[in-house]
Amino acid sequence: MEYVSPEGLRLDGRRPMEMRQIRAEIGVVAKAAGSALFEMGNTKVIAAVYGPREVQNRSQQLNDSALVRCEYTMANFSTGDRMRKPKGDRRSTEISLVIRQTMEACIMTHLMPRSQIDIFVQVLQADGGTRSACINAASLALADAGIPMRDLVTSCSAGYLNSTPLLDLNYIEDSAGGADVTLGILPKLDKVTLLQMDAKLSVETFENVMQLAIEGCKAVATYIREVLLENTKQLEYRRGI
Amino acid sequence: MQCHHRHQHSLLSFIRPLSASSLLEMVGLSIGEKHFIQGGIAQDLRSDGRKRLTIRPIYVETGVISQANGSARVRMGATDVIACVKAELGRPNALQPDKGKVVVNVDCSPTAAPMFEGRGGEELSAELSVALQRCLLGGKSGSGAGIDLSSLVVVEGKICWDLYIDGLVVSSDGNLLDALGAAIKAALSNTGIPKVNVAAGASGDEQPEVDVSDEEFLQFDTSRVPVIVTLTKVGRHYIVDATSEEESQMCLAVSISINRQGHICGLTKRGGAGLDPSIILDMISVAKTVSEQLINTLDSHIAAAEAGEEES
Repeated sequence: MEYVSPEGLRLDGRRPMEMRQIRAEIGVVAKAAGSALFEMGNTKVIAAVYGPREVQNRSQQLNDSALVRCEYTMANFSTGDRMRKPKGDRRSTEISLVIRQTMEACIMTHLMPRSQIDIFVQVLQADGGTRSACINAASLALADAGIPMRDLVTSCSAGYLNSTPLLDLNYIEDSAGGADVTLGILPKLDKVTLLQMDAKLSVETFENVMQLAIEGCKAVATYIREVLLENTKQLEYRRGI
Repeated sequence: MQCHHRHQHSLLSFIRPLSASSLLEMVGLSIGEKHFIQGGIAQDLRSDGRKRLTIRPIYVETGVISQANGSARVRMGATDVIACVKAELGRPNALQPDKGKVVVNVDCSPTAAPMFEGRGGEELSAELSVALQRCLLGGKSGSGAGIDLSSLVVVEGKICWDLYIDGLVVSSDGNLLDALGAAIKAALSNTGIPKVNVAAGASGDEQPEVDVSDEEFLQFDTSRVPVIVTLTKVGRHYIVDATSEEESQMCLAVSISINRQGHICGLTKRGGAGLDPSIILDMISVAKTVSEQLINTLDSHIAAAEAGEEES
């Protein structure tokens, strides 16, 4: 199947190096310490952060750092065909783990010993790149909760189809069988914190695809900063400073 | 009469699971705060400034899930729910060949409260699903259902639409059932069911061939879909649209689903304390007045949301 037309357009009309429309909103869950909605095209996720608070399960308490927990759930209606999935299947558990490890790397856990931070991500609509969208949403929610972080983590995926590196794959492109590289970076520190790839690629191509994903992550970072800044300005305005 | 204290609630929850008792865990109130809430309700001035029978402002957004046939997000104060309708072609039940099938399912997202993580939300989800099923779909025979099941039939006895209604609690601050009921009503009015052309000529037991149109949609008639009004009894009085703090002080709650015609479509009582039969009748008439107000607000919001969606 042709994923990039001879005119250089993808199935949804984007250019190979173009991202989908991204949109973020802060403070969508009133009772949480911090929360955010993140959309990448049709992919739509909500993240909520609770904590830092007392450790619920004493045996998990860490004396020198905070305990970070994460749960990823998909709504029944999030996929194209309605599917009733049991909670805690292998895929969700793996993504929970990936998100937790990525976020743990940027939270300054040593500042909050003997406490717990819960990150819950809920997928409302899945159209490829849920992993990336979840990490971006979690990053925003943590920032909204005011949890000390080394840097914002941002994530984006890139793939390789029809001998073209493509940025930010949607579901159809993702299930096409080509390589899919999901990357998470700390944009200010310029460090990679998450890297996953399936299928095979030559080293040269991988370099290109990864470079593209890095560009994507940086673009997301710029947007996330704008959203946070706007939010902070509004808070400032409401306080009347 | 005072309400049950915390330890009594947890004792009751051994006898039968109560959503109130499980929600109670996350609301940590001091004795002073409890008295404040109870006293406010007794004086018809609640903590957020509302009267006993005033509902919080409602925000409705339709078409939030583009992959679905219909969807809506409803916010009442800090309670935030999403309802989503998906239609699939199926076979009618052999006992009711002239009726389609509707399944209501609710999930509580852990984003709403940390206690819903893992399997923590299942008990409440099941309770809400069953209550909604009862309020919207009537009995097993499907007669008296708030949703017109016979409009879902394509070929009698052979093909019908199966409607899957999924509710998701994104943020919870009390009165989840009413919010879910409102969201489902809004999602159903947003629902377009594809027009189906049936090829003629199939006879006997053969399954006729169908052609599902992806351009023509039939609007679902929601004028008879009821809304749910929950009256929560705190102390001597009952209130509508309780917040989770108020719910933690309740002794019982009665959820009544009422449609535009003023018919009662379903009724659920939760909570342990007994209730005088005459009070139930009184509650029903109050619920009827509140439901008129709720239906009118909801309808105007749905119309506004639909108009806004078409513009964008």
